[in-house]
Parts: sequence; structure tokens; C-alpha cells
Amino acid sequence: MLMTTTVKRHLRGAAVALTAVFLLLTFVLPRAHGRTQIEPDSGERPLKVLQLPMRTDGPKSLDPVRGSTVYDNRAASMVYDTLVQYKYLIRPPRLEPSLLAEMPTLSEDGLTYHFVLKPGITFHDDPCFPGGKGREVVAWDVFYSWKRMADQNNQPKSWWLFDNTIVGFNRYREVQNAAEVFDYDAPVEGFKVLNDYEFTVTLTRPIQRFLWVLAMFQTAVVPREAAEKYGTRFGRHPVGTGAFTMAEDDWVAGQKMIFYKNPGYREEFYPLEHMPEDEKLGLHLAAGTRVPIADRVEFTMFVQDQPMWLQFRSRKIGYTQIPSEYFPKAFLRRRQQLKRSFREEGIVAHAIPLLDFIFRGFNMKDPLLGGYTDKQRWIRQAIHLAMDHYEFNDTFYNGLNYVYDGPIPPGLDGFPPDGLSPNSLQGPDLERARKLMKEAGHPNGEGLPVIEYYLGRGGNSAEQAEMMQRQLAKIGIELNVHLVDFSTLIEAVNNGKAPLFSFAWGSDYPDAENNLALFYGPNEAPGANHFNYKNPEYDALYERIQVMPPGPARTVIYEQMREIVIRDAPYIGSMARTRFYLVNPWLKNFKPSEDFYNWVKYLDVDDSKR
Amino acid sequence: MWAYIFRRLVYNVPVYLGIILFVMAALRVNDPIWTYLGKHATQEQYDQFAKASGLDKPFLRQYFDFLSDVVRLDFTVESWDQPGIQVGKMIRAAIVPSLALTIPALGITSFLAICVGLISAYFRGRWMDQLLVFIAVLGMSVSFLVYIILGQYFGAFWLKQHLGMDLFAISGYPSGGLTMATWAYYCLLPILISVIVALGYDTRYYRAVMVEESNRDYITTARAKGASGPKILFVHMLKNAMIPIITRIMITLPFLITGSILLEMYFNIPGMGRRLILAINAKDFPVIQAFTAIFAALFIVTNILTDVLYAIFDPRVRLQ
Repeated sequence: MLMTTTVKRHLRGAAVALTAVFLLLTFVLPRAHGRTQIEPDSGERPLKVLQLPMRTDGPKSLDPVRGSTVYDNRAASMVYDTLVQYKYLIRPPRLEPSLLAEMPTLSEDGLTYHFVLKPGITFHDDPCFPGGKGREVVAWDVFYSWKRMADQNNQPKSWWLFDNTIVGFNRYREVQNAAEVFDYDAPVEGFKVLNDYEFTVTLTRPIQRFLWVLAMFQTAVVPREAAEKYGTRFGRHPVGTGAFTMAEDDWVAGQKMIFYKNPGYREEFYPLEHMPEDEKLGLHLAAGTRVPIADRVEFTMFVQDQPMWLQFRSRKIGYTQIPSEYFPKAFLRRRQQLKRSFREEGIVAHAIPLLDFIFRGFNMKDPLLGGYTDKQRWIRQAIHLAMDHYEFNDTFYNGLNYVYDGPIPPGLDGFPPDGLSPNSLQGPDLERARKLMKEAGHPNGEGLPVIEYYLGRGGNSAEQAEMMQRQLAKIGIELNVHLVDFSTLIEAVNNGKAPLFSFAWGSDYPDAENNLALFYGPNEAPGANHFNYKNPEYDALYERIQVMPPGPARTVIYEQMREIVIRDAPYIGSMARTRFYLVNPWLKNFKPSEDFYNWVKYLDVDDSKR
Repeated sequence: MWAYIFRRLVYNVPVYLGIILFVMAALRVNDPIWTYLGKHATQEQYDQFAKASGLDKPFLRQYFDFLSDVVRLDFTVESWDQPGIQVGKMIRAAIVPSLALTIPALGITSFLAICVGLISAYFRGRWMDQLLVFIAVLGMSVSFLVYIILGQYFGAFWLKQHLGMDLFAISGYPSGGLTMATWAYYCLLPILISVIVALGYDTRYYRAVMVEESNRDYITTARAKGASGPKILFVHMLKNAMIPIITRIMITLPFLITGSILLEMYFNIPGMGRRLILAINAKDFPVIQAFTAIFAALFIVTNILTDVLYAIFDPRVRLQ
């Protein structure tokens, strides 16, 4: 027997040593790491530190002209300001001045905007300025910042915002990009500086969306000194006028970003104006508080959902979007109500309907499904009525989507009450669908050829197509499904090869005009009007709303336009996703929005509730 | 020995050049610029980007330019996905977090697996051996992902929520430098998970090696000469088993640098594995190309080093 007492003793010794090392590593060292200490700044009050999640590997660049994603927006909105901004608590969204002293005025012809900057707004202190002291923002900075969008050397991603919008700007872009050196001092016909604080912008035609564009982070104002000094590093070394600042070392790509309160931030206060329902959540209580409220904001990136969820449940981050697999943990699924245990912890839920228009579209030029005669319209309406969007919602989206009539998503002017239009075609209403098919000359689908249906491959597209085939078979309609790559789908739609196709549209800005433009005749494919829908009455109304300011009169026209497209049925729909947020009790003043992202400056923290 | 190392390095130069050539060609099969810019990009944007990134040059010129960069260890080219960050800086920043995970994981796993392998071989066929093999197989039969999910939930979240023991971070990495305490807080849980998963594979391997060694004539001779149990185990058997042990460990060495993709992704540790996956997802061409060149070099160097270590540990091996 080789197993001697000596061997046993050695093995026992080794086991004891291993156990000791394990215990040291497991129980002693981790405890010695120390929790995050919130140091007081001057010994008077502890710093207010916000820990917030970012459900991605993070932004790519903080240079506004290079940014395009939601995450670029979130981070850039911390350090940069735009001319106008969204009113934090108001829904549907409305704009208010940010860098401007007042909202811009528009000339009678709807072409020239007159702007006045607030005096005394300064850029962040930075070595790019003489003496490292941030200088005052002047009118030239606005035009310089916008011209950067035209400069191909900056690899701008948002030129489309200004394309064919401002008089002479497209020409300027062409000339300067062809020249050896891009001249930022060369004039643009539509830009006029009146003095340091006043300037005008002349549009090529009345464009309603222009003001919304000015609230987008891509149009934020940057200093020429910083952009030129830091070159491509400017995207990691932001110098703006925003509520927070960030040093290069405070951004660990893909992991963390830390922002600090801008001590020189302009005088701005938590808004008084709010919605009635905000009072229930106490969102009105901070009115009049100087912003930014937090001293430091730490964003942690989460590529995986489980760590984000567990960090939220440990109260280490202020809020979380709810990943779909965690929805049943927090909510009673049918009622979409937060579970009692969560409510007892002081957690608050918010449901944010996204500005989605998820639909199936008809090619209105198609000889079978297109056209504007009653019979052609009846076929489309019958298809619409045969579809059960609620079954789609329950099966594929956990019942979380919002089914509604028309192309205007929830939360915007022109959205029908409860999502139901007076001329609703929401199905399933098989009796009415069969009746329409009969009147169209195709009882039970007789004589109707197989319909070619195109949709993008991926996700559960195949299953969705099967469900649609089954639903339409009930009125005798047969579908031939083409599951294709997205690029092929676009091509098929643009070439008119797809008589029926599946698409979705996310609004670029929170104004129904953006969605109504999808049916404007001159925008036909390859433009955004993928339906090739042409209706002179509709087009005339669209041209009217382009020069109308927001208000009841414009909303009435939105509703008229909505009903026209519901009647003509160039699409089948609609659905919008709903995003659910949970907020830990220590995070105060949070009213989530996915339309804009400069709301972090309004957030507060109550450390006693961590 | 130095002559051998030099010779092996020279022999491997064509291999390395071939790998780089193949990788560069493969990365260009689908135009990386169109892939990166997306389907809505214009020809104008494409041309501008191609010029800025040097991809408008002939392929051979790009090949030699890149080789020149690799030879000079010049990775100052900027990431496409993270403009303003040089690829070299990105790699340097990612190496330490990876090593903070992989070196302890390899060390602990190898040590434990060799010990368990020895014990198992020692009790070959008896209940102790069967129990250890059963545990090893059980450990390796469960998916890595399951360990991560359960580890995060019970090891970090549940312990804190229910027992008030904040021993491990759910995820994250200290933004300042690593200290022993922060290392243990942020890295120990993923290391333990890594050890549990790898232990099964390594134990089975080392057990097989030890069993084979224990049947050799020199063990019988040692016993006949009256050598003590520990001496047979730790001097004779272990030393003779060093070749397969070295092979096993050396094979793992390049992966110390490449990091653990799953652990780094789930625990939000900014290491090489996470960086590479994010670069692949973002179609960050310069990063992918640089990582490939570095990994290929690492594998070649490791192979040479393995041969050298064979000679050091086993006098019968000659470096010629």
C-alpha cells in the first residue's frame, strides 16, 4: 500500500493551505475593497452621484456631427447644448429655448427664422481657449457647428438633417468638399450674422421639421478652437456648453463614462410647467431648483441584460429598461401592472410608448392591390379587417405593443383617442371582410391571384408570415411569402416589385408631420413614401401643415389626413412598441423619454433610500 | 539554445507572413468599408473613408504597409468604431484586465487539477478516484453560461440581498488601478467560475497522464529502492509528467492574452476578449486586423517557447 501516513499528512496540509487561501480570497479581500465613498466637496454636503445604465457598449463619438445613435445622443446631450430643447415634463413634446433667449421668430413667408442667443453662455473651460477659460458663445459658433456637418473630412452622419433645407448650403457643401481646403469662413447664402447674438437662417422652402432639427444633438454648438485643436480626438474630448463636462480619461470605451457638473453652466431651473399626472409622482416638487442637480453622473454600459437587471435590483443603478425576459418578474402580464413586492420597495414603473409605426404596406401602383377605385380599396380594407393584430401582439411581443389606427404613433398630436379611429379597420372582423371581398368581386377570394408578400428575414419573421397566411386564408386570400435580406426588401419595394411588404418606421422627431410625410405623393419610392400613395387632397393638406405652427388647427388637419389614409388603406396596421422603465426609490425627478436625452440635468438623488 | 530559438523564429517568418496575407485578404472579401458604413452610405462617403483609411491603395501596398507597422509595433492607427482611440492604446488598456482574470485562473486551475490528478491516479479505481472523476465530469458537463448566470445571481446578488455579504461585484471593473482588494471584488467571482469549468477538463487530462506515468518501470524501481510515497509522487512521477503538463499549459498561454470572451462580456470586464467581440460586432476593421496579427505572433512564440521548456525539463530532449 503506497498511501503512507506521510502522504496523508502532506495531502491534509495542502488541503488546509488551499482552504485558507480560498477563504482569504473569498471573504477577506473582497470586503477590503471598500464601498463607493461619496466624498463631500467642501465638507458641507455629500456629493450627489448618479449611477445610470446604458444598455449597449456605449457611444462611439461625442462629436455631434459624427454621432447618429441613441447612445451618441445620450452622451453628447450631457456636454453639448442645442439652440432649443424639449420641455422636460410636457407630453406630447414641446420645444423651448435652450441656448436661445427666446423661441425663434418666423417671417411671414415661412422661410426666414430670426434667432437671438442668450448672452453670457460660455463653453467649458479647456486648454483650447486662451488661458484655459471657456469663451462666450456667439452667433458664428452656430454656423461653424452646422458647417461641420457639410465637411466630409469630419465623416458626418447627419447631413440629411440639412440636405436641401437652407438656401445655398448644398452648394457650399459641394464647392468646399471639392476644394483643397474646406473653408469654414466662406459664406452660405442662407446664413446671416446680425451681431454676436443675433442671426437669421433662410430656408429653401417652408419646412416644419426645422425647429425639431434644432433640438437634435447633431446640431449642437461646438467651439472651433476645440474642434481644430483636437481633430479626431474631439469626439473623445468634448468641449461644449452642456450641463456636464467629461475628461478623456473618464471614458473607458465599452465600459464606463463619468461626467461632472459644469460649474459654469448657464442659469437654468427645474421646470414649473408639468402634466397633471406628474404631481402623483412628485415630479413637480423640484420646480425652481437650479440645474444640473447631480454633481457626478456615472454611466455603466451593459451589453448583457442580466448584470443590468441585478445591478438595478441591488439599487446600484437608478433605473432600468425592462428586458422582455424580465417583464414577468416585475409585472402582472395581463394587466401590465407592477407587482406588489416591487411597489412596496418604492420602485416606480413608467410605460413609454415609442414613436413606432409598424405596418404592412401595399404598393399603390400594383395593378392588383394598388389603385383608388372602390373595388381596389375594398380588397385592401378586407385584408386589413381580416388581420388580427392583437394575436400578433400576444404571440410575438408578450402583448406589450400598442395596436392603433392610422399612421400617427401614440403620444403625438393627431393620435386617435384610445388608438381607435371612427373609421377603424381594426380586425379581426371576418364578416365585414368577406362582405367587402364579395363586393369587390372576389367572394371567398375567388379569382384573386396569389399575393406576393415580402418581408425581412430574421427574428420571428417566418412565424409572423405563417400567422398572416393563416389569418388571410380565412377570407380566401393566399400569400406567397418572400423572406429576404433587408437590402433586397428595400430594393423590391423601391422597384415596385413587392405588392405587399412589411416595414416599420421610427419617427425622426416627435411630430406627426414626420409620419404623414410617408404618404405625401412627391416622396414616392425610392423616397419615404414606399407605398407610392398619391392623393391630391392629401398632398394639399400636407403642404398646408408644413407651414403651420403646432396648435389645434394643425391637429385638426392631422386628423383629416389620418382618416384619408385609413379610408384608402395603403397599409395594414398599426403597432407601436412600449418601453417599460423601473425606477429605484433613490432616483428623483425621473420622467423617462426616448425623444430627447438632456434630462439627466434634472435628476436628483436621495442617498437615504439607496 | 539561442541559435535554436533564432532558427525557429526565422523558419516561422514565412508562416507569419502567410497568416497575415491570408487574414488581410479574408477581411477584404466583403468590402470592410461598405460593411462598416452600412447600406445607406453614398459613394462619396465611401471614397472619403477609403482615402482616409488607406484602403484605396493596391492590396500589396496595404499588405506591406501593415507588415511595416507590425514590425515597428506601430499600432497608432485609429479604431473605426471609437474614433480618436489608437488601436495600440486600446490593446494596452485591455491586456491588464484580461491578465487579471486569466493568469490566476490558469494558475489555480493547473495547480488544483494537477493535485487532483495525482490523487486520483494514486487511488486509481477506488471510490476516491471515481468520486473525483465524477465531479470533474459533472463540472465540465454544465455550460459555462449557466455557471456565469448562476454565479452572478447567487454569488454576487443573492449573497448581498439575503445575507448582506457584498463579496463580489455583479459586474464591472475598477476605473482606477487594480489593488488586491478591488481585484478580489471584481475579478474573483469570474475566476472561480473559470476554475470550476476548466477543472473538469484539466483533471481528467492530468489524471490520465499520471495514471500512465504510474505504470512505468521507473516507478516500480523507485518503490523497490524504498523511495517514500511523497518522493515517488512529487519527485519522480511529477517530474516525468512535466512534458504533457507543459504542453497543456503552453497551449493555454496565448489565451491568457486573448482573454475570456464570455466572462468579460457578462462581467463587463474591459479585456481583450470583450474588446475583440465588440470590434467584430462593430465591424471595426483596424482593430480586428491588429488583434489577428498579435494573436498569430503569440501562438508562434508560444510554440517556440514550449520546445525550449521541453528541453529544460527533460534532458532527453535536444534542441537541434
